[in-house]
Amino acid sequence: MKRLWSWAALVIGALYFLLPLIGTIEFSLRMRRGAYSLDAYRSVLADPAFRATFGYSVMMALLTIVLGVVLVVPTAYWVRLRLPRLRPVIEFVTLLPLVIPAIVVVFGYIRLYNTSSILPLTGTAGGTNILLLCGYATLALPYMYRAVDTGLSTMDVRSLTEAAQSLGAGWVRIIGRLILPNVLGAVMSGAFLSFAIVIGEFTMAALLNRPAFGPYMQLLGANRAYEPAALAVIAFAVTWGCMGVMQLISRLAGVRKTAT
Amino acid sequence: MSFLTLDHLQKSFGDTKVVHDFDMRVEKGEFISFLGPSGCGKTTVLRMVAGFETPSAGRILIDGQDVTGLRPNQRQIGMVFQAYALFPNLTVADNVGFGLKVAGVPRAERGPRVAEMLDLIGLPQMGGRYPWQLSGGQQQRVALARALAPRPRVLLLDEPLSALDAKIRVSLRNQIREIQQQLGITTIFVTHDQEEALSISDRIVVMHRGVADQTGTPREIYNHPTTDFVANFVGTLNRFPAEVLDAATGRLRVGGTEIELGRPVGPGPLVLAARPEGLVLAETGIPAEVTGVEFLGSVQRLRARAAGQSIVMDRFNAPTAALPAPGETVHLCPLRSHWMVLAQPEAEIV
Amino acid sequence: MKTGWNWLGVMPFFAFAALFLILPTMNIVIGAFQNSEGGFTLANLQGLTAPRIVDSFAISIKVSLASAILGCLIGFAMAAAVVMGGLPGWIKAPLMTFSGVASNFAGVPLAFAFIATLGRVGLVTMLLKQWFGINIYAMGFNLLSFWGLTLTYLFFQIPLMILIITPALEGLKREWREAAEVLGASTSQYWRMVALPILFPSLLGTFALLFANSFGAVATAYALTGSSLSIVPIMLFAQIRGDVLQDPHLGYAMAFGMILVTGLANLAYVIMRTRAERWMR
Repeated sequence: MKRLWSWAALVIGALYFLLPLIGTIEFSLRMRRGAYSLDAYRSVLADPAFRATFGYSVMMALLTIVLGVVLVVPTAYWVRLRLPRLRPVIEFVTLLPLVIPAIVVVFGYIRLYNTSSILPLTGTAGGTNILLLCGYATLALPYMYRAVDTGLSTMDVRSLTEAAQSLGAGWVRIIGRLILPNVLGAVMSGAFLSFAIVIGEFTMAALLNRPAFGPYMQLLGANRAYEPAALAVIAFAVTWGCMGVMQLISRLAGVRKTAT
Repeated sequence: MSFLTLDHLQKSFGDTKVVHDFDMRVEKGEFISFLGPSGCGKTTVLRMVAGFETPSAGRILIDGQDVTGLRPNQRQIGMVFQAYALFPNLTVADNVGFGLKVAGVPRAERGPRVAEMLDLIGLPQMGGRYPWQLSGGQQQRVALARALAPRPRVLLLDEPLSALDAKIRVSLRNQIREIQQQLGITTIFVTHDQEEALSISDRIVVMHRGVADQTGTPREIYNHPTTDFVANFVGTLNRFPAEVLDAATGRLRVGGTEIELGRPVGPGPLVLAARPEGLVLAETGIPAEVTGVEFLGSVQRLRARAAGQSIVMDRFNAPTAALPAPGETVHLCPLRSHWMVLAQPEAEIV
Repeated sequence: MKTGWNWLGVMPFFAFAALFLILPTMNIVIGAFQNSEGGFTLANLQGLTAPRIVDSFAISIKVSLASAILGCLIGFAMAAAVVMGGLPGWIKAPLMTFSGVASNFAGVPLAFAFIATLGRVGLVTMLLKQWFGINIYAMGFNLLSFWGLTLTYLFFQIPLMILIITPALEGLKREWREAAEVLGASTSQYWRMVALPILFPSLLGTFALLFANSFGAVATAYALTGSSLSIVPIMLFAQIRGDVLQDPHLGYAMAFGMILVTGLANLAYVIMRTRAERWMR
C-alpha cells in the first residue's frame, strides 16, 4: 500500500519533469515541415551571434569562478583559523544574495556606478564587464562559500597551518599550495554550480546591456519559433554536463579521501 | 500458565535463517536475559516480541492473548533502545508522557503519572529539560521511565547499557533491576555482556546461531554449562584435554597426572574444564609454569601454562601469602565440585 | 595590533560585499525615500499603493506562495517516497542528480521548454487535443497566467525541495519511529508529534528560500510572458529599462518593496525557526 503511493508520487513527478524535456526536444526537431530534422540546431549553431554571446558568457563564467575562488577561499580559511567568531556574520552576508533579488542588486549598480558617480563603471564597456563580473560573483557567493566551507570543515586547518609555518611557508604559499589543493574538490563543485548559474543568466546581463547568452536566448525566443527549443535543449545539456562533472569530481574526491 | 510465551518462533531473512525454533515460557515478573554474541538472533527475537519483525513461524502470547498478528502499537509493550531514542523535540516530561498522550489520557491524569515516573528514576527536577541537556545515563533513565509510564505488560530492553561508560553501566543496571522488582514487571533484557546478564537476571537464555543453547538461572549457566559454547561464552574457562582411564569412577589422566573425579564420565576423549576460581595451588597436582601474576585488589590472577594450555587462576587476596613468581613451577589441584566434564569438540581431536 | 592584522585578512571580502552587494542595496533603499531633488519624502512609498502596483505585488506574492507551497509539498512527497516509501535503493542517486540539474535549469531556457510543451502548439497541448479531444486553452488554461507561471516555476522549486529535504528525512532515526510505535502511537501521531516537529526548521527554511527564489525570478517570466503578466520583477525590469512608470523614484520604491517582502519572509522564517528550535543546541 505504502509502496503503491510511493510509486505513484514518483511516477507523477517523473512525468512532470520528463514531459517538458520531451516536449522541448520534439519541438526542436519540428523545424522542417512534415519530418523531424536537426535544422533548428543547425540554424542556431550557424548564427554568429550565438557563438559570440555563448563565448562571452563562457568567458564571464570562468572569470566568475576565478574571482569567486580568490575571494572565498582565503576568507573562509582565515575566518576558520583566526576569526571563528566572525563566521555567523560571513555566513549571513553570503546568504544575502539568496534574499535580495538580483534585479534589485543590479538596479543598485546602475544607480551607484553610473557615468556621473565617483566610480563610473557603466561608462565604458570594460567597466561594465567588470561590474557584471562582480554581480555574477555575488550571485555565486552563497554556493561557493558553502562548498568551500564544507571542504574546509573536513580538515584540521589549524594544525596544517602550524605545520606549514614551522617549515617556513608564507601565507601566499600556505593558501596556494596547501589549502587550495586540499579543498579543490569542494572548490570544483562550487565552480561548476557557478558556471551553470552564470552561463544562462539573463537579468543582470540584460540590464547592464552586455552581449551575453541569456539576453541572446530571450531575443531569439521573441523572434523565432523552433530555435528557442533547440537552445533550451543545448542549455539543459550544458547544465546537465556541469552537474555531472561536479558529481564525478566529488565522487573522485570522496574515493581519494577514503583511500588515504 | 506462563505470562509470556514464545512458541517455536522462527525467522528467516531471505534464505538466511536467523532464528531457529526458539521456544520459551516466561513467568509474570520474571527478568530474563538473552545473552549471546552479535548475530546470534537475540535482537531478532526481541524485535519479534515488540512487533517490528513478523515471525516466519510460531506464535507469541502475552497473558494468554495471541499477539503475533498485532502491530507494535497494539501490544502494550515498553521498550528501551540502545541509543536512547528519546524524541529530541520534546522535553523530558513530554517524552515520558508520550505513551499516555497518544493513548488519549487527559493532561490532568498525565501530570501525576509523569511526576511519579520521574521520581522512580531519580530525576524529579528534570521534567522541563530537553534530551540534549542530559547525560547519556540520564537519557537512558528517561527512556526507561517513558517505556514504563503507560504501564506496559512486558518491558523489553535492547542492549540499554552498551552506549554508556563502565561506571554508569553498573549503577544503571542495578537501578533497572530495582525498578523492575519494585514494579514486578516481566522483562526481557538483551545483552552481549555476560557479567551484565549474570548480575541482574532471574534466568538467562544463552543464544548461539539462532538457537537457545541453554536456559537457566545465572548460577546454573555459570556452574553447569551444558554445551561447549555456553561454557566458553560465559565466564573464563580453563580447558585440559583428558584421557579416560576408568569411565565408571571418573579416573582421568591430565597432562601426566591422574585425577579421580569420583563420578562416572562418558567415554573419552574428554575436556576437563574449570573456572579460574576452581583451581587451587597445592603440593601435588597438574604441574604448571607461572607466566604472569596480576594483582587486582580483592583477587590475585595467576597466568600459567599447564598441559600445553594457557591457564588462568584466581584466588582471593591474602596479605600474608606469598605470590608465585613468573617462571616458577606450581601444582594446580582440582577442587572437585568445580570441575566440569565437556565432550571434546571434534576440531580438538587429533 | 594582532587583532588588527586578523581583521585585515577578511577586508577584501567585506570590501567586495560592501561595494557590490550592500551599498547598491542601501542605495536603492535610500532612493526609495528621496525625491528628485534628493530630499526626504514618503511620496514614493505612497506611489506603491497605486492599483497597478498593488496588483503586481499581489500576483507576485500569490505565484511565489503557490509555487513555494506546492514545491514543498510535492518535493516532500517525492523525497519521502524515495527515502521511506520502500522503493528500490537505486532510484535515489539518479533522482538527486536530476534534482541538481533541474533546480539550476531556470531562466530563459525553462520558459522555452514550457512553451514547447504547454504552449498553444506545445507537445502536451497537441497530444491532449488529438488523443482525448481536450483543448486546454479552450478550457481557460493559459501558460501566460498565474497557474502557467506557477507550473513553470515548480520545475526548479520541486527539485530544490528534494535536494534540501532528502538529507533531513534521512536524519530521522529509525528508533524514533519504533519508540513512538511501541508506545502506542499511530503513524499519523508519530508524524504529527515527532517527525514533523523535528523537520519543521528545515521545512521552514526551504519554504523561505523557495519563496524568495520565485519572488525575485525575472528571466523565466520575462521570456515566457514578455510584459503581459505584470508581476513585480517584470514591472521593475521594464521600469529600469525604459522608465515606464514615468517616475524613476517609484522604481526605487518598488525595489524597496521587493526587499521588504523577501526580508519580511525571511524575518518570519528566523523568528519561527528560533521558536521551533528551542529543543536544539
